[in-house]
Amino acid sequence: MEKRTNSPFPAIDRPVMAVVGVVLVIGTGLFMWSDRAHDWRFYQMEFAQLVADQFGADKAAEVPTGMQQIWVADLERADRCTTCHLGVLWKGFEKAEHPYRTHPEAPLKTHPLEKFGCTSCHGGQGWAIDTAAAHGQVAHWEEPLLSRSLGESYTLAGDKNALMQMNCNTCHRYDRETNGATAINLAKRLVTDKGCRACHVINGYGGTIGPDLTEVGDKAPEQYDFSRLSGQRTAFAWHVAHLKDPRALAEGTIMPNFNFTTEQAQALSMLVLSWRRHDVPARYLAGAPRTDPRSAEELAAEEAMKTGPGRWFVDTGCFVCHSVSALGVKSPAQIGPDLSTAVEDTQSRFGLTVDAFLANPTGTMSVVLSRQIILTPEQKQVAVQKLREAFAEHQKQRAAGVTTAPAPSH
Amino acid sequence: MSLRAPTRRSEPDAPGVRPQMLWSLRPRSDREAGDAIASNFLFHAFPAKVSKASMAWNYSFWLGTISAALFFLLILSGLPLLFLYVPSVERAYQSVKDIEFVITFGSWIRAVHRIAAHGMVIVVFLHLVRVFLTGAYKNGAGRGQHREWNWVLGVVMLLVTLFLSFTGYLLPWDQLAFWAVTVGTNIASSIPAIGPTVRELLIGGRTIEQATLIRFYVLHVVILPLGLGVLFAYHMWRVRKDGGLARAERDTLLERPAETPVVATKTYTLLGVARGQAPVIRAQALEAPETTVNAVPDLTRRAAIATLGTFAVIGILSVFIASPLEEPANALVTPNPAKAPWYFLWLQEIVTDTTIRIGSFTVNGAFVGGVVLPGLLIGLLTVWPWLDRSPAAATGVWMARTRGRQNTVFLLVVLGILILTFIGMAMRGPYWYLYWPWEAWPDIPARI
Repeated sequence: MEKRTNSPFPAIDRPVMAVVGVVLVIGTGLFMWSDRAHDWRFYQMEFAQLVADQFGADKAAEVPTGMQQIWVADLERADRCTTCHLGVLWKGFEKAEHPYRTHPEAPLKTHPLEKFGCTSCHGGQGWAIDTAAAHGQVAHWEEPLLSRSLGESYTLAGDKNALMQMNCNTCHRYDRETNGATAINLAKRLVTDKGCRACHVINGYGGTIGPDLTEVGDKAPEQYDFSRLSGQRTAFAWHVAHLKDPRALAEGTIMPNFNFTTEQAQALSMLVLSWRRHDVPARYLAGAPRTDPRSAEELAAEEAMKTGPGRWFVDTGCFVCHSVSALGVKSPAQIGPDLSTAVEDTQSRFGLTVDAFLANPTGTMSVVLSRQIILTPEQKQVAVQKLREAFAEHQKQRAAGVTTAPAPSH
Repeated sequence: MSLRAPTRRSEPDAPGVRPQMLWSLRPRSDREAGDAIASNFLFHAFPAKVSKASMAWNYSFWLGTISAALFFLLILSGLPLLFLYVPSVERAYQSVKDIEFVITFGSWIRAVHRIAAHGMVIVVFLHLVRVFLTGAYKNGAGRGQHREWNWVLGVVMLLVTLFLSFTGYLLPWDQLAFWAVTVGTNIASSIPAIGPTVRELLIGGRTIEQATLIRFYVLHVVILPLGLGVLFAYHMWRVRKDGGLARAERDTLLERPAETPVVATKTYTLLGVARGQAPVIRAQALEAPETTVNAVPDLTRRAAIATLGTFAVIGILSVFIASPLEEPANALVTPNPAKAPWYFLWLQEIVTDTTIRIGSFTVNGAFVGGVVLPGLLIGLLTVWPWLDRSPAAATGVWMARTRGRQNTVFLLVVLGILILTFIGMAMRGPYWYLYWPWEAWPDIPARI
């Protein structure tokens, strides 16, 4: 076999290759480690220990492990807070340190976790799984956790936890009073008492001297003029200062100084910042009508039908298909013929008296009377009685020249 | 562990016929080394022998190999992202957040993809600078060489690389993405007459919306990578056809033993031989033991060092450099300052500096800075091999004396681009005011 030509390269390149290999292994180890190095693993271990101490090992085995998530499709939220805050739904950790503490029971009764998640009330970044990012204390996340410590950083005059009420008002925006939202309730009373709407449009109505405040909570922080504000440069701080002394912040403004107390100014700032263009599904919106609104005339007519001489036809359910116009009953559907003339009608249509027809109905009525409206023989007697009354009334009206009942439809 | 063939290692029955299943990474003879090239698909792009000079680290700095390694790494890291990313304006941002926070290795994969992409822009640019400064687009002694066309291919590949990076910029659908693309496409719309149409074609409408996202997405994940792959194959094929790196031309100048006649042994295609077009390189200069080594294992080992070294560096950087994800895209709130991607910042800087305000009258610099100047530079770059009249001896030589003036001008242009890029990156603050790099910008106010 011919020899291989000598090469000067292996002597240097082989060690270099070995170094590259070692660096690759180190790199692999590094990224594997960095993916595992998250605090939540530690918190989960600690919580399991806490449960074991308090309730025994059996209970501790029930503590979920791995990443947790509450997915609320309606609100487009995937809140992973419970990855660390495992004690939220466990009883017995009411006095424990965060993140193990039990959530107060009352708000969760009306706002179940699976329907609201965490961040829709508390703020923060639900997607994140590390403390700083999840609590929103990072760049490029504009919804920080509305916590007590944030409230303390603003030295809130009232409840230090009140900032969270801004998020309550996302859904409770149109409430006059919201249970538990003391600051927001105070602010809403002030809006009425001080007549803010004299100058500002709020929720669609008000004066046009000042700017429309309906969606002012969405105004970007960069769009505020902070040049005359000292201290925290946030929209909230700006509003507090502006409400306490409008002219100090906005030169030449005609907004009067209402001499608000700090608590009032802070409450109003919370309210103002809560006025945002949120896309909340209709059924999350407190106070939103759950039915088609009806006019006063419609409501009066319905009441008259329910209490008038045709009441029996309404209660029994006949009115769903049949009007009884002689007695003032108007069917919403009017599928069947008007029952004012039923006494005559059964004769002309079926060659039967009303009694005979009701005893042995044919066609649609046989189905209805056997499945939907089942009448005992006694009730059928009442029906005949009522139909006769209606016919008598119909004849009386016709004699008087009032035509209420339409001609038989077929 | 040996990669040597486990079966019998007898002499082949005939040249090129190999009974072994596997090639050898540690060939015992020159023939076995050559056989490895012939029997391995991945190695077929390599010649059997390669000149020692072109293997040098300090000639090419292996920038082409590193670019290719980065491209390969981008495909590798892009594939998992393809399964996770949702190209819709409603869900794109959220899916990137999920990649960052909950996908196993997700933030690392995204960082690898991002850093490799930025790295590729840098390395491809450096590769172009190296080729220019060594006059490597010039032809040497071989017949049928067309290095100037490979240079043109390279310029096109740089542009495709930039466009690949730019289209990837939009995908996270955050403020950074949205406004970088706004700035970029607004520059395109400053072309006289057809500008607005070009912009509309780019973004699929008049506002950056779902149509833009899906356009950029398809360009980014299908059309541009495919195109770059094809161009890359063509680029490599041309390197082979042109007789390897321009540095190898130096070997042909070596004094050769008088008694050995020049034999045309190195041919690439039968048709080429017939027509006399295939590069025919004086064999003993390119294959002589004193000037060449076997491609397997010397070239393959160095290629592996460059490739795996690139992977290692990017992999480790990606553990420590997190990829930014700003607020969700918001057409109503312009970040201050709004910047184009960093590799276009020199253009944005020129746009700024050529915008002249005289009273209320404004001459918009977008046309000069965004269209005329880059168009002129790219045009000049493309045709430069035909304008370069330096002697053939300057081929494959760093900073050849005979190319002194053009190298100086080229370096000055490069320096200008670098300075403007630096100003754009580090010195432009809110309202596009100039700040020193060590000067703090006014802090950005928050909501609460």
